[in-house]
Amino acid sequence: MSDAAVVPRRFGVRARTPAVHNKNLNWVLIGLLGLITLIALTARWLAPDDPIQPVGDFNLPPGSPGHLLGTDLIGRDLLSRTLWGIQASWLSALAVVLVGLLAGGLIGLVAGAAGGWVDNVLMRLTDLFLALPGVLVAIAIVAALGPGLEHTLIGISIVWWPYYARIIRGEVRALAARPHVEAARLAGAGKGRILRRHLLPGAVPTAIVTASLDIGNVVLLLAGLSFIGLGQLAPAPELGADTARALSQLLAQWWVPVVPGLAVMLLSLIANLGGDALRELLDGRR
Amino acid sequence: MIASVDDLHVTLRGNPVLRGVSLSVRPGEILGLVGESGSGKSMLALSLLGLLPPDAHPQVTGTVEVAGVDMVHGSAAAHRAVRRRELGVIFQDPMTSLNPTMRIGRQITEVTRDRAQAVQLLEHVGVADAALRLRVYPHELSGGLRQRVMTAIAVAGRPSLIIADEPTTALDVTVQAQVLKLLRDLRDEYGCSVLFITHDLAVAAQITDRIGVMYAGRLAELGPTRDLLTAPAHPYTAGLLRSRLSLSTPRDRDLPTLQAEAGSRGSGCAYHPRCPLAVDRCAEEQPPLTGSDHQKSCWRDISDMPAGNSAPDPGGHGAAAEGEPVVKLRDIRCDFKVRNGWRRAGTLKALDGVDLDVAPGEAVSIVGESGSGKSTLLRVIAGLIKPTAGTREVTGGTQMVFQDAGSSLTPWLTIGELLRERVLKLGRAEQDDRIEKALTAIGLPITVATARPRQLSGGQRQRVALARATIVPPAVLLCDEPTSALDASLAASVLNLIRKLRGDLGMAVVFVTHDLAVARLMGDRIVVMTGGRVVETGAADDLVSRPQAEYTRTLLAAVPEITS
Repeated sequence: MSDAAVVPRRFGVRARTPAVHNKNLNWVLIGLLGLITLIALTARWLAPDDPIQPVGDFNLPPGSPGHLLGTDLIGRDLLSRTLWGIQASWLSALAVVLVGLLAGGLIGLVAGAAGGWVDNVLMRLTDLFLALPGVLVAIAIVAALGPGLEHTLIGISIVWWPYYARIIRGEVRALAARPHVEAARLAGAGKGRILRRHLLPGAVPTAIVTASLDIGNVVLLLAGLSFIGLGQLAPAPELGADTARALSQLLAQWWVPVVPGLAVMLLSLIANLGGDALRELLDGRR
Repeated sequence: MIASVDDLHVTLRGNPVLRGVSLSVRPGEILGLVGESGSGKSMLALSLLGLLPPDAHPQVTGTVEVAGVDMVHGSAAAHRAVRRRELGVIFQDPMTSLNPTMRIGRQITEVTRDRAQAVQLLEHVGVADAALRLRVYPHELSGGLRQRVMTAIAVAGRPSLIIADEPTTALDVTVQAQVLKLLRDLRDEYGCSVLFITHDLAVAAQITDRIGVMYAGRLAELGPTRDLLTAPAHPYTAGLLRSRLSLSTPRDRDLPTLQAEAGSRGSGCAYHPRCPLAVDRCAEEQPPLTGSDHQKSCWRDISDMPAGNSAPDPGGHGAAAEGEPVVKLRDIRCDFKVRNGWRRAGTLKALDGVDLDVAPGEAVSIVGESGSGKSTLLRVIAGLIKPTAGTREVTGGTQMVFQDAGSSLTPWLTIGELLRERVLKLGRAEQDDRIEKALTAIGLPITVATARPRQLSGGQRQRVALARATIVPPAVLLCDEPTSALDASLAASVLNLIRKLRGDLGMAVVFVTHDLAVARLMGDRIVVMTGGRVVETGAADDLVSRPQAEYTRTLLAAVPEITS
């Protein structure tokens, strides 16, 4: 007979069983997030061919010798282009999310912890950005700066942080109302200390989950912007742009647009499933 | 028999919660089920309702019958029919068990199907202006009224058994007394049975005909209320009765406690590690529930029970010193703006001109019901709330212990980190030294320093909160109902600890509570508050034996006591 029945929260022993059957699956999904990042980082070595130079016959179907996913209209290796495309899309998405998380997180943290007029000023500013049609503003910024992946990233980052500010501010506000913050204040902890030690760690799980769920959105948005010609410039591989450019071949050589298109779908799917898995694991821990 | 349970074993998530309970509810009786948290009393109620949580994968052996229907195996439809026709339920918190989006009237007519009858029912349970009240939402009612509405819904279907799970625990004592009387009256009138679940023997004593005492998923003792209270047959019942804090508990000695929970319990009687009568047999063999009318589950004879275990308070508790008061409040007023829906904001006078002096080393208890302003007053002393008007002088530091220790400790920090925060100015070695001393003083092992709050039990957490407050001794220790969320046996040991710390560290203590018995034991002086004002102040024993204010008398009369 286990002790846990008598003293449910005995030292060091915690009975937590819900969703046990999902736990391993969750780790697999989170592992996939890591795997994609690894692939993106090592695309240069993984890709069998140069993504920009033609290396074979035109429009080879998938499974052709030497070209696992086939080749495109001018004979570039699709596998190589897709791997490089994953690098561009995934790392860009991570960068946007990271910038959003840091900028939005900082603003949300300060607003939520300070309250009063500081909160009001910061949140009205956030509302202002939220009120702008994000994608259009991003497009306008790209149009002003000139096309190119960096400019697209700058454009998206500028409209992306307010979501994080909102979510983290709400989380911090809820935490700040909990007795442990009052207790910390009574215990003599200063403002900075309360912020760092008694509020921030509580908001981290939400922030991480929101961010990982968001990667998929950014991947899709980037692909969309590239699709309409506002992303990566012409010869460089980018999943959305590659899909768009090859669309006219859809009926004749379906694999040329479908391969990068599927890659976008896969990235977004893995980002979402991984984010969900992360949430379940972190929820269980709180 | 209305309902009967035979050799019921229930295992949830692999943990046994009921380990062989046999019990039947007789027609027209009020049967009390008393036990500490985790004793399985609520699980027994859920078993009777056929509502064991399915996601906990309950494994059930034994039988549960209500009105002749098998509530373990039968079909879900049959269970629903029994719940509709035979059972009424009252839960602890009517705010969460009433639907907040539905008017009261609709919630009652869901059962009665008839508005006139709903009005009649509401009048019956003592709700004034019943016809008007049908149109209000639950949040517009006070706690007592909500519990009356809940009761009205429970009796609306003319059930043969009402299951009441801690129905008065969330209520003030004066309201509790009314709800208990109501339940009794309804039983007399409708002739239904009531299964009354509570953690408080004295509350059970007020209303029940028979009492079953539960311990670790088994019935320790079952018998007629009067017999069981005057001549308990099980050492656990005897211990509970002895450790109960009442208005006549001696003030000058340590409060009597039950032996703390110890180690695993093996195959024998679950109580044996704490039992003063335990012999070898108790550790090996589970005693059956024996006896005819008054049954007990114990190998030993209660007459061998040693006398009370309370030692005289060694140092006496710290005496109030002469000198300038450490807390000096004059005409403190505190207004809160309240919004009533979208209507204009009004003002709530949480404190309405309060004066209070606390001498160095003095212990003052503040008693009042919810909304009396007692917690607000404590917060003003702590400096957490700025009063709207009045002067506050506090010399020396204050520290506070909260009602819910669990939520007052930052969940992701370790106990050591939480304690260290108070002594950051010292050198590292001295910090460690102070942490060790503080943990030793509250009777926890040093290894607790690496644990996080959720790994501790409720009592341990409250001790840690005390260690955090006293690691640097404050001039005044403020306690906001620190034991009201704890089981009786734990509460007494925490109260003892506060008294000991006060003596050792020479702190003044301001102790806020809703319980007059606790107030008398913790304070040299009692301050009675209601509606944001102080209505009476007096030396502890004087105030309890010779109350002056009408309100104090009402409060005293409502305190449930066990009279033998």
